[in-house]
Amino acid sequence: MSGGLVTVSYIGAIILFVMTLGGLSHQETSRKGNLYGMIGMTIAVLATVFGPEVTTNIHLIVIAMLIGGSIGFTLAKKVEMTQMPELVAILHSLVGLAAVLVGYVNFMDESISFPTDIEKVIHEVEIYIGVLIGAVTFSGSVIAFGKLSGMIGGSPLLLPARHWFNLGLLILSIWVGYEFVHQAEAGNAMMYLMIMTGIALLFGIHMVMAIGGADMPVVISMLNSYSGWAAAGIGFTLENTALIITGALVGSSGAILSYIMCKGMNRSFFNVILGGFGATEQSTNTSSKEQKPVKSGNAEDAAFLMKNASSVIIVPGYGMAVAQAQHALREMVDTLKKNDIKVTYAIHPVAGRMPGHMNVLLAEANVPYDEVFELEEINNDFANADVAFVIGANDVTNPVAKTDPQSPIYGMPVLDVEKCKSVLFVKRSLSPGYAGIDNDLFYKENTLMLFADAKKMTENITKNL
Amino acid sequence: MKIGVPNEVHTGEKRVATTPEVIKFLQKLGYTVAVESGAGAKANFSDEAYRQSGAEIINNTKSLWESSNIILKVRAPEQHPDLNINECDLLKEGQTLISFIWPAQNESLIQKLAEKNINVLAMDSIPRISRAQKMDALSSMANIAGYRAVIEASHHFGRFFTGQITAAGKVPPAKVLVIGAGVAGLAAIGAANSLGAIVRSFDTRPEVKEQVESMGADFLLLDFEEDGSGEGGYAKTMSDEFIAAEMALFTEQAKDVDIIITTALIPGKPAPKLITKDMVSSMKDGSVIVDLAAEQGGNCELTLPHDVNVTDNGVTIIGYSDLPSRLPTQSSQLYGTNLRHLLTDMTPEKDGQMIIDMEDEAVRGATVIKEGQITWPPPPPKLSATPAVKQTEPVPVITKESKKPTLLRQSLPLIISALILYGLGSVAPSSFMTHFTVFVLSCFIGYMVIWNVTASLHTPLMSVTNAVSSIIIIGALIQISSSDTLLVALAFIGILITSINISGGFAVTRRMLKMFRR
Repeated sequence: MSGGLVTVSYIGAIILFVMTLGGLSHQETSRKGNLYGMIGMTIAVLATVFGPEVTTNIHLIVIAMLIGGSIGFTLAKKVEMTQMPELVAILHSLVGLAAVLVGYVNFMDESISFPTDIEKVIHEVEIYIGVLIGAVTFSGSVIAFGKLSGMIGGSPLLLPARHWFNLGLLILSIWVGYEFVHQAEAGNAMMYLMIMTGIALLFGIHMVMAIGGADMPVVISMLNSYSGWAAAGIGFTLENTALIITGALVGSSGAILSYIMCKGMNRSFFNVILGGFGATEQSTNTSSKEQKPVKSGNAEDAAFLMKNASSVIIVPGYGMAVAQAQHALREMVDTLKKNDIKVTYAIHPVAGRMPGHMNVLLAEANVPYDEVFELEEINNDFANADVAFVIGANDVTNPVAKTDPQSPIYGMPVLDVEKCKSVLFVKRSLSPGYAGIDNDLFYKENTLMLFADAKKMTENITKNL
Repeated sequence: MKIGVPNEVHTGEKRVATTPEVIKFLQKLGYTVAVESGAGAKANFSDEAYRQSGAEIINNTKSLWESSNIILKVRAPEQHPDLNINECDLLKEGQTLISFIWPAQNESLIQKLAEKNINVLAMDSIPRISRAQKMDALSSMANIAGYRAVIEASHHFGRFFTGQITAAGKVPPAKVLVIGAGVAGLAAIGAANSLGAIVRSFDTRPEVKEQVESMGADFLLLDFEEDGSGEGGYAKTMSDEFIAAEMALFTEQAKDVDIIITTALIPGKPAPKLITKDMVSSMKDGSVIVDLAAEQGGNCELTLPHDVNVTDNGVTIIGYSDLPSRLPTQSSQLYGTNLRHLLTDMTPEKDGQMIIDMEDEAVRGATVIKEGQITWPPPPPKLSATPAVKQTEPVPVITKESKKPTLLRQSLPLIISALILYGLGSVAPSSFMTHFTVFVLSCFIGYMVIWNVTASLHTPLMSVTNAVSSIIIIGALIQISSSDTLLVALAFIGILITSINISGGFAVTRRMLKMFRR
């Protein structure tokens, strides 16, 4: 295959990738979008393999792809839907690692020659940046994976001078970069590249460690964006347009996604990245706790309330994911629907541990997606609904966000659950949510707490309906 | 300790201080319970039912009072008609009496009880703090009274509450005005609303507007600013100007509505006169007024306490003061539960030993006599049941965020990035700039394409972009043709891990998308 044909194939692949992203914007076109992506990737890979730049070792390619492909396929088949965030995080780390490897290989490859010095410098800088982003993506994703799978605690690790620390790392890496370019001419810049990789890894670890569990969705999508930038950076070094374009597509789409999510939480993007949700110096509101009464009930009470309702809104949260209660929930909803009760689902943009987490889980339980509504779409309906069934959500329903400017979540749009005639709260205890603040909703007169595991409680309610 | 529940002797009183269901809980607290024979009969709890729940049935009134450590009653002690002896004299030293007492109105009774050297807890004096809501018998009785008020009204009202269009003609819905949106008022609103009436409500405390609206009534507003919230969640007396404006509103409403339910009370004072003779005479024939404040003198000038009267223009005025007693089963059950909650708090060890802990704000408030010492009135409660409207501190306006970014601040990043790009363009070779153009344009395409993504697709989108970012495999593919073994090995690893990502990413996206269905 000639160079021209390869380029044409790349163009085709790129168009398909753009169509993939476009297709994924809407439910109707999403499956087709995924298919475009697969075709595009196949074309790009085949064009490269049969192109002029790959001359030997094709058998190695086949072996590597067979092994990797089957591992990936098994992972995708086996993973529980609730573990989706972890899987995505660990997959991101692979892209980061690949970027680092490709960058290193490119640097060590001595067969590349440059017509001018300036091109060589640019080339070095490109390698440097590509490896840097790749390394940050890699270590950040690994930590994110650890946090999501519970291997590392979810609370943010806040070093006393963390902003200075970050700034120090940045300045250090710029200086190392400068040295790297200089030494590259002498041919012993390897050490600097490695030092920088170390710094970048450290930076990635520190960055994700400092981010609280509630911000995890943003981090995942940010890392997604990074993996794209890493690919684009490597594309520059290899002067490969397909890589640059695809990388930039992924990078910018990830960045936009993070931005949309930050907007959903009413938080500044930089605030999230630089760490510290709970870091807004947990002030006054914990001290003045009056011992407030809580009405708690059992499955029978809940079933009674719902049976007599004419409309029920379900508010799922991370607790539902943990308890794997989505199927039980749907059974409950089916029973409710048989009794002619209108049931809808309300999903907060940051419910769960990754964007759209709840939608995926509900979809897994065969909940039709046109019964599932977003915050803005459904928030006015709470006032007219009889029962709000909050299952495993907490902070996203906390009315404090509307009332108390002192609160760390002040200004975040929340679901107006308290406007319902009655609120059923399935929760294991009265403990605060990820934001670390108490939820006033627990103590409201129209709230009935159902202290139990979400799945068991839902099953029991269904029995009593 | 032994709990005794005597027969209520007040004329017409049908309630009883405990129910078989409550007794089971009291036994779990370690108490034994004795009930006077026939105590629950009027509330439809038979002696047999009490016996089955483990209570002892005692026929003799005197021996019941004598043998008990704690006496649970509904009404305050009064002259016993059969024994011809005041119930106070049945009490002996060391006993505890828990019932409604109304210490403010019954000073002589308090004196008399204090002389007996006993403990007395008044259920009407439980403070209105959040924690004590479960033992707040006034609220539970008020709730019943409000409900019953609507039922009584409908009994005397000649029409439907709900509007209907039938083959025999159109029926307009009844219009109900509820004055005073306390517990009773809210219960009345709820009951009237569920019968289908159009309900309006008025209260001097503006913060109850939301509660009124939540029960389905319209909140009537005055063109007048004054907050009527008094201490402890109750109302206070208003200024003359306010009352004038209020009366004007009622005069206007009286002509329009069919039913008026008044629940306005100010603690320790006679009920305010809100519905004048003139207003009543302006009402339609067949209208009904239910005056829940009848016992405290009535909100309506024409109310006859404890009775029903019909005015010359056909308006029925109901002044029953025993509305809770008219739903005896329900009110006994709620009152019994209130008592049970109080006793639960007073029996921390669950060993049947009652402790009067004066540090406990709820118990402190209820205790009017301790060991012969009058401890009434208690210090004022610290917290209101409904949080008082914060008057002092308006929410600080966060100026920092609301300030619009200046033109300079908006354009500064653009200017800086333009400068950087020009700087880059001046040194970089053209091949780089070509790539750079492609890069920037792709960023914009990504931006445009992703901007309208449906929130529910965020996860699949992320996993698909993740798979797409494995395009980096191209880099590794090109490098594997190198002659250096180390480089080949590294490229091999690169291909391997990106392959994981490609197949894993696309497969998992496919799996997820398959689940989404309409």
